[in-house]
Amino acid sequence: MTSERFIALVSAYGADARRWPESERTAAQAFMAAEPEAACAALAEADAIDALLHASPAPQVSMALRDRVIASAAEAGLKARKHGRLWLDRLALALGAGWAVAACAGVAAGVIMTGHLTSDAQADAVLYQSSLQGVDDTEVLG
Amino acid sequence: MALIADPDEDLVRRVGQGDSAAIQAMVARKLPRMLALARRMLGDPVEAEDVAQEALLRAWRQAPRWTPGKARFDTWLHRVALNLCYDRLRRRREIATDSPPDRPDEGAAPDRGLLAADVGARVEAALARLPDRQREAIVLCHYQELTNIEAAVLMEVSVEALESLLSRGRRALRVALADMRPDAEGA
Repeated sequence: MTSERFIALVSAYGADARRWPESERTAAQAFMAAEPEAACAALAEADAIDALLHASPAPQVSMALRDRVIASAAEAGLKARKHGRLWLDRLALALGAGWAVAACAGVAAGVIMTGHLTSDAQADAVLYQSSLQGVDDTEVLG
Repeated sequence: MALIADPDEDLVRRVGQGDSAAIQAMVARKLPRMLALARRMLGDPVEAEDVAQEALLRAWRQAPRWTPGKARFDTWLHRVALNLCYDRLRRRREIATDSPPDRPDEGAAPDRGLLAADVGARVEAALARLPDRQREAIVLCHYQELTNIEAAVLMEVSVEALESLLSRGRRALRVALADMRPDAEGA
């Protein structure tokens, strides 16, 4: 890198090497090492301007502005979907399925538990009918 | 054409889906940047808030149809905010007619102390007095920390032209704020 290019570089981008174009950074740093006196004068000048620029603070975002901007997302048609809503939907689905399974299990248990009562009643009916009229079991039960 | 890596890609996608956490994250990430850009371009806090809010509103509208890989979202948002700033600067010039803009030079009065609170205001005022394009170059490269290529693309100039604007702007600031430098007499 020539002296002219180094001076042009720091005049434009300042004294901080991180702000220099990546494609020229290594060459500029090599120039600094090879020509420290020439580099120092240009760097000192640029550094003073950098310090002035840094003295201007960035404006702070007020809460009112922040709230207005967030509210404008809904106005722009972005339908608010709360983070984790999908997880809640899945939980609700799982709970619903659980209730359905429980209901089915209840029906099945009811059928099983009452099945022997029906059989007992049928057996009693057979005994009662046969004791009265002497009919065959098949006539009672069909 | 090579796809452009974009650190905002995932966030923009979630914003486009209406994810409220992503919307808040986008506000935290971009609103301070857009406010700073507009404040330094316009020098007016109220107008800067209007521009920053409008830029984010356009981001909300764009997010659902954003195509990743074509451009960085941050660069696009800068373009939007800069256009809004230039609309306002143009309107100011139309209104200004013959009278010069009301930007008093507060520098170099003999009894003026360099209080810390004053320094930022002096720099801001000097920045506001720069020609628009020089100010834009300094704001994009120094304050917004865009690369020279990003800034040149946004300003629609070559990198060489950008460097010329930067150098001239910085030189003008040095002259305007000469009394504030540590080596200045009485500073």
